[in-house]
Amino acid sequence: MAEQRQRSRRRGQGELEALVLAALREAEGPATAGWVQQRLGGDLAYTTVITILTRLLAKGAVTRERAGRSFAWTSASDQAGLAAHRMRRVLDAESDREAVLASFVTGLGPDDERLLRELLGRPGNDGED
Amino acid sequence: MGVFVFLPLVLPLTAWPIARLAEHRLHPRTATRLLTGVAAVMAVCSTVCLALAMVVGTAQLPGNPLPDGWSDPEVRAAVPYDEVVGKAAIPALCAVLSACGRTLWRHGRVRRRAHRALAGLRGTGVAVLPDAEPYAYALPGGRRDRVVVTTGLLRSLAPAERRALFAHERAHLAAGHHRFLLTVQLAARANPFLRPLRTAVAYTAERWADEDAAQTVGSRRTVAHAIGKAALVSRGTPVATLAGLAAPGPVPRRVAALLAPAPAVRRWPSLFTLVGLAAWGAAAGTAVSAMASANSTVTMVRILYAATPL
Repeated sequence: MAEQRQRSRRRGQGELEALVLAALREAEGPATAGWVQQRLGGDLAYTTVITILTRLLAKGAVTRERAGRSFAWTSASDQAGLAAHRMRRVLDAESDREAVLASFVTGLGPDDERLLRELLGRPGNDGED
Repeated sequence: MGVFVFLPLVLPLTAWPIARLAEHRLHPRTATRLLTGVAAVMAVCSTVCLALAMVVGTAQLPGNPLPDGWSDPEVRAAVPYDEVVGKAAIPALCAVLSACGRTLWRHGRVRRRAHRALAGLRGTGVAVLPDAEPYAYALPGGRRDRVVVTTGLLRSLAPAERRALFAHERAHLAAGHHRFLLTVQLAARANPFLRPLRTAVAYTAERWADEDAAQTVGSRRTVAHAIGKAALVSRGTPVATLAGLAAPGPVPRRVAALLAPAPAVRRWPSLFTLVGLAAWGAAAGTAVSAMASANSTVTMVRILYAATPL
């Protein structure tokens, strides 16, 4: 039970980030956290919006500039960009990613590159079906 | 039981010839299924025998929680009473179980994290990520099966080659290759002699997806070029081998196999060929392994049942 709640909370973080980022992208120019909060229908607490924006800032997905006493936020990348950033972090954290995810290609050995170029450079009369 | 209890620990050696020959001589689908099946059975048998030896070993330790009758001299005479082996089995079994647990946990963690990273994207079967680093893989997840590919990789491929890439990854998902890979990884953790089977299956599963992709796009050459180009643009991850000793890596072997004629689909090779001999050898090894561990288990249970005061 507790584990399920934990999981939904964690998955929620990614979705919340996507929501906040989508709202920010709808803004014309820099927007304040309050504007984002209103845009999302007031479901999220102001502090939550600030937390998520700060996290997005750390991921390079948004930028901010000082506007008076608060910050004005601008989206730097879209949701796909954010997903790409998160995926890179998942893969970089896994030293042996091939052990878990079947990649399309694996790394090349010292002689493999030359061998591969030879194979691909051959005229196309072999193996075609 | 005697020596029977130790047979399943070394019988994985009988699968080495087929692990080596399957790559060239069998259809990749047959090879993947055969090698995974052999690895799974042998790993279970070897672990069962390790557990039996551990019970023997534990019963010898002073202050163990097992019934006192289990360490009677009659029982010691009946089980292979070897102080060193029995005691060595205790850390060995602990190592096997913790290594398998770690593998499972890591597998789940990477899959969970990868799915979470894609949260917020529309729930289509393909996730195209704007990233300059070229990579692609199949992310299994039941109804959330996804092909993940970066723009960096797509940019380097021609349209037909992109179709080949997607067909390859979808073949992984459709045939559930991650289950085969996880099985052989666990087997290799359970018994180090099964490691060549893990390496072989990692390769044959890729070949299986290559062959399926070649059928889908209708051109072996297109798939070969897609693999070759993808490998050349993403060569940033060199494999650590000594330059002088390096045999051709998996990627050139896959490309060469695709440029050669399609492999024949045979259910089971004839006994009178080298590969047939190797396959039957592995099958016999698996059968002996299963019988030896079953025999040892039954004997052990009967001895201990008789020795337990009820």
